[in-house]
Formats: sequence, structure tokens, C-alpha cells
Amino acid sequence: MKRFLFQTSLFLLLILVGLYGVLMQADGFTDPYYIRFTTSRQSSLIVGNSRAAQGVQPAILNRCLGRSDFFNYAFTLGHSPYGPVYLESINRKLDKGTTDGRFIVTVDPWSICTKGKNPNDTTQFAEKNRLLGKLKYVNLNPNFFYLTENFERPLVSLLRHNPNNITFLHEDGWLEVSPPKMDSAAVAERTSEKILDYEKSNLPFFKYSEARVNSLKQIIQALSAHGKVYLVRLPVYADMLVLEDRLMPDFERRMSQLALKNQIPYLSFVQTGDSCVFTDGNHLYKESGAKVTKRIASWMLENDK
Amino acid sequence: MQFDSLDFALFLPVVFLLYWFVFQRNLKAQNFFIVIASYLFYGWWDWRFLSLILFSTVLDYSIGVFLEKLVDPLKRKRLLYVSLAINLGFLGVFKYFNFFLESFVDGFALFGYHPTVSSLEIILPVGISFYTFQSLSYTIDIYKRKLTATKDFVAFTAFVCFFPQLVAGPIERAANLLPQFYTPRRFDYHQAVDGLRQILWGLFKKVVIADNCAEYANLIFNNSADESGSTLFLGAVFFTFQIYGDFSGYSDIAIGTSRLFGFHLMRNFSFPYFSRDIAEFWRRWHISLSTWFRDYLYIPLGGSKGGKWMKVRNTFIIFLVSGFWHGANWTFVAWGALNALYFLPLLLLDRNRSNLDTVAQGRLFPDARELFSMLLTFGMTVLAWIFFRADSLKQAFSIIGEILSPSSFSIPQFDGRQGAAFVLLGVAIFMTIEWLGRERSFAIHQIGLNWSKPLRWGFYTALALAVFLFSGKEQQFIYFQF
Repeated sequence: MKRFLFQTSLFLLLILVGLYGVLMQADGFTDPYYIRFTTSRQSSLIVGNSRAAQGVQPAILNRCLGRSDFFNYAFTLGHSPYGPVYLESINRKLDKGTTDGRFIVTVDPWSICTKGKNPNDTTQFAEKNRLLGKLKYVNLNPNFFYLTENFERPLVSLLRHNPNNITFLHEDGWLEVSPPKMDSAAVAERTSEKILDYEKSNLPFFKYSEARVNSLKQIIQALSAHGKVYLVRLPVYADMLVLEDRLMPDFERRMSQLALKNQIPYLSFVQTGDSCVFTDGNHLYKESGAKVTKRIASWMLENDK
Repeated sequence: MQFDSLDFALFLPVVFLLYWFVFQRNLKAQNFFIVIASYLFYGWWDWRFLSLILFSTVLDYSIGVFLEKLVDPLKRKRLLYVSLAINLGFLGVFKYFNFFLESFVDGFALFGYHPTVSSLEIILPVGISFYTFQSLSYTIDIYKRKLTATKDFVAFTAFVCFFPQLVAGPIERAANLLPQFYTPRRFDYHQAVDGLRQILWGLFKKVVIADNCAEYANLIFNNSADESGSTLFLGAVFFTFQIYGDFSGYSDIAIGTSRLFGFHLMRNFSFPYFSRDIAEFWRRWHISLSTWFRDYLYIPLGGSKGGKWMKVRNTFIIFLVSGFWHGANWTFVAWGALNALYFLPLLLLDRNRSNLDTVAQGRLFPDARELFSMLLTFGMTVLAWIFFRADSLKQAFSIIGEILSPSSFSIPQFDGRQGAAFVLLGVAIFMTIEWLGRERSFAIHQIGLNWSKPLRWGFYTALALAVFLFSGKEQQFIYFQF
């Protein structure tokens, strides 16, 4: 038995060492999420969906605000709309010892609405069975649980970079997207596709969810206990804004009230979409993202005075 | 709990260590621990159905004891019928109720009647077909006086729920497995190492071969209406390897795990895709089920004794029931019927037992005749698997129709062809290893025994790493649904 246990342990060790070597090859090119689950707990977070993931750049915030701890923990509308799942994941990522954190909570009508018959039945929220709902360990490097249970491709793909990859996830959680074509025709085509997709696949089915708003409130309160919270609505292309107004005409009023109630500042870029460049009408292109981030930083500084 | 899950990877070593270090001295305690571990293993999926297993266990144990005592043949027969009715009744309700209901409605619709009935939302308990058959074999064997009833309830419970083979076989016979619970198990280094080797090979089959093939089989079958004949044929080939890797992989893990605990389970697969005719295929595919049907259905029906037509009738019954056992859908019945048709010429020409040995025994390559026979048999099974995989008979016939059309001469076109080519390359390497090991109980059973230690360790480490690195998207074991 001793021999068996010794040899089996040695064999397992060999496999673990080999596996560790492969898993450590994972980097920002691996996929749009992995790196966010490999860092330690964070003290200043940016939360929201893919608009924030691509649009708010922690490095710029750090530079402008003289900090070094901003971390982008925003995912996608499918993974991180406001709800119990995202709340739990944020709690897992947040350094509980933080007392002077800065938290940017980005909002839009989609992230407080949901598909489904009963928009307040949290058991039916789709994100429950997706990445954040399944991943209990968000601060491991390498994150064995993510790579074995949530990674979409075989692990061997970690050993070679896809030359056609247009996304790179930075260590600070910012998702840099570099579409091969950014000329006006290509952008217009992607924008009309995105708008059409939202109009056909989302708008008719999304319903306002009180349960999601409650989770948003809980997230604000949870983060407020560790520092200052800033509520932000990021810019979108005009046609997307039209859809959002159709979905929730009173969104601005609701958010202003929410901010007032929770005594946090609210910044809406709803009128500034025209001055920004988007990759697809929904997500800020990195250069516009940098500008918007700078404006958020200045606004935060003003509020901190 | 799935064998290829992290849960099982933690469960197995804990159970192994407790089994050999804490409960080793007391056989009853060790058997009781197996019961606890097995119930935990099953309850991980859905604890509510543990009551069903427990009920079947208590029922068959009690009936076994009474069957042993009773002398009156009529009373014994009635008691056996009680066991059959209850066990098969559960199976019927959970697995076939909605199927019969829908078939009944469809049947009436043919004559213009449209009765209104509502189907039940029934969850199929994982592995119900497997443990029901295993448990039934016990009572039938006692009824036939081939086996004496056990007085050891814990051992019997462990026999019914033994976790390595509880949910997808091999379907063990009481005569083989039950006595193993009566005798003290001793840890045997070579047996345990063999077990680990078989687990590793099973994982490779499941995670690397089956799960990767599944991705393309699903892609093609789910879009079957838009695919060309050549693409559909490729999809059927992918499914052919998926189901083999999936099910034989599961059996290998089950057998290997049992060996770690000092148990010997029966072999369930013996390189079926190297068969030279369909009769040989069925001697090599899901052996525990085929032999179960042979012993408890074919032989009681008269087997081969009643002349040629009796043989034909019984063969058709066996294949149809076998198809139906796999699932409550006419596609499975058609799959069984097609295999019976394949079998028929061999039966009529008395050639169903002409290939009892291993193909190209003692040689590296088969001769031309053997190669042709193998390819023909393989092609026939690929065709039959289409019924098994299709959602409906209509889809199956439509796929076969397309495969038989000129579009089969085109180059397959579908998303991810490059990935599919890599998977096919992997399958080719896998089948080469299977071919080289076809005279063993599993392909890598004896591989590397004469190699130097570093080379042997290197091979197994590479295989284990391949399980992690080349794994496809996780899929539930196909046979769980049966």
C-alpha cells in the first residue's frame, strides 16, 4: 500500500506540475474574462457590463486620481447584470479590509431589466448558470476552477496565441478591443447589426426588474461600507439611446433618485454620445473610452473636494 | 456525481483511504461504508431518488429470502412476478409512461380520433435501467435455484448500489459480484495499479475522444436539414466514436475504480469496432447487457432450440427489447430492428458464431478479407447509430436519404472543419492504440510493461496531461439517460 500511495502521489505531482506549467501560460489573450479571476481581492472596483469592461480604463483612473488600485470587474450583460449572482461575485472579489476604496458602478436600462416571464423571480435569472454563478473562486492564480470548468476551449489552446484575437484583457481588468477595421463603413455596419440585434432580440423581451434594482442597491450599500461609490451611465450611440428610452423612459429619473437616496453622486453621459467613437454603437472604442475615463476621474475629483 | 468531475476526483481518494485504512478490519463495516459512499455518490445527483433504490433493495432482498424458503412452485412463481411487476413497473412509470401515452394518442390520431391526455413531468432517475436489471437478475437466479438468497442485508445493499457501476453498469450478476461482498478484500498493488491504468484510459476515451467528437456530432446532427450527405456521414462517424468513447470509457472507469477497492467487475466492451460481422460486434458491445438479455430473455423464450424460425423470432425480440431498453423513443426500437436485420443473414446461414477469436490474432495487420469485413461491419454500425442519435425517425430517414444522395460525393462543409480534422486525427491515434491492445482486457493494459521506468512514467503522464489539455466541452455520459 505504501508503495502504491507513494507512486500515485508522485504521479499526481508530476501531472500537477505539468498542468501548472500549462495553466501559467494563460494571459490576457486567453479569453475576455480569465485574468479578472487570477488577481487577489481588490480595493477599488469598476462594476457593470461590457460597456464598462471596455470603456472604463483603470490605468487612466489611477493616473488621474493618484491611486494604484483600480480594477475593472465588469463582464457582459449576459454575465453581470445586477442581481444576486453579481453581488455575490463582487463580495468575493472585494478586499473586506478596504476602508478608502473608490467604486464606479455603471448603469444602463438593460442591466436592471431581465428576460423571462417573472422579472422578479431571481431563481430564473440566466446568469445563475453562467460563469459568475458557477465560479466560486475568483482570486486564484492559476485559476484551476475557471480553466477546467468554464473555459470554452481545450486547455492546450493556452499554449498558442490566436493571431486573429482582437481582444486583450489587461492585468487591471480592462478589456481592450481592437477591431481590425475601424473605418466609418465598418463601424456603421457593426452598429446597425448591433442595434438591430438589440431591437429584435432584447427590446421586446426585457422587462424592468425590481429584484435587479434591489441587488444594485445592495451592491452600492456593500461597496459604500468600504469607500466612496460613484454611479455612472456611460455614453452610447444615439440609436441605442433611442432603444433604451423605449425600454425605460424614466431611467434617468430613477437613477438620480437612487443616487440621492444612497447619497452618492451620479454622472450621466447620456447627452454626450455624439462626441464618442464606438466599435458597434454599444461599446466605446478605446480612445473614446480613455477620454470618458478621464472625464469620470475629473468628476470624481470634483466630488471628493 | 460524474466520473470526470472535480467532485469525483476528490470523492474517490477520500473513500479509498477511509476504505483501506479505517474500515479494513471489519468486513461488515467496510460493506456498510460502501453503501454510505454509494448513496452519497448517487445522492449528489438527486437525493430524492435514493428512496427508490432503497425500496428496490428492500423489496428484492425480502423476495429473495421468501423465494429461498418457499417450496410451492406456484407461490414461488407468483412471488417472482411480484418482483418483476414492481421493478419493471418503476421502470415503466419513470421511463416509458409518457412514451406510451404519446404513442397511444398518435395511434388514435391515425384513425381520426384525438383524445385529450396530459403527459406527466417525470424526471428519469439516473441509472434506473441498470440497477433494476441488476437487482432483477438476483431474484430470477434465486427463483431458478441458481443462487441462494443472501442473509446479509448490508452486503446485498452494497451489491445493488455499488457506486462504480451503479448508474451505467456494467450490469453485474449477483453470482459474480455478491460473493465478493462476503469475503475480505486484501489490497493488491498490481490490481490497484491496473485499476488506475484502466481509469486513466477510460478518462481519455471519455474526455478526449467522446467529448470532442460530441461537439461535431451535435453540430452536424442539430443542423441536419441543411447539411450535405458527406457532412452527415461524417457526423454519424463522429457519433460512432462518441458513443464508444463515452460508454466504454465509463465502463473502464467503473471497472478500474472497482479494482481499487478489490472488486472484479465483468468486462463490458471488447474492441467492438474491430468486429468482422455484426454477431461478433454484439459479443463485444455492452457485453453485460447482451448477456443479460441472452440469459434472462432469449434462453427462457426457447433460445436456439426451437428451429430456425424460433431463433429468428427470438433474435428480433431481443434486439427490439434491447433497443427499447435504451430509451422511450421509436428511434431506439428502429435501431434495434435494424441490428436484428443485420443479424438475420448470419443466423439463417448459421454463421453467427464464425468469428469467436480476436481479429488478426498474433499479427500486426489484418489480411485483406479481415480488413474488408471490419470496414463493412463498421459501416453498418455507423448507419445504425444514426437511428440511435436522431431525435425522430423522420430525421433519421432524412439523414440516411441525404447520405445516399449524390451530395455524399462533395467535400464536407461546416463550421470548424479544421478542428474536426484534428479530432479525426486524434481518433485515428486512439484507434491505433486500441488496435495494438486489442488482445488485452483494455487497450493500454500491457503497454509499456517492458519499457524503462522513465519512459513508462512519461507515457502515463503524457496520457494524463492529454486528458486535461485536450478535453472537449463537458458532456453528460450518454448512458446516464438510459
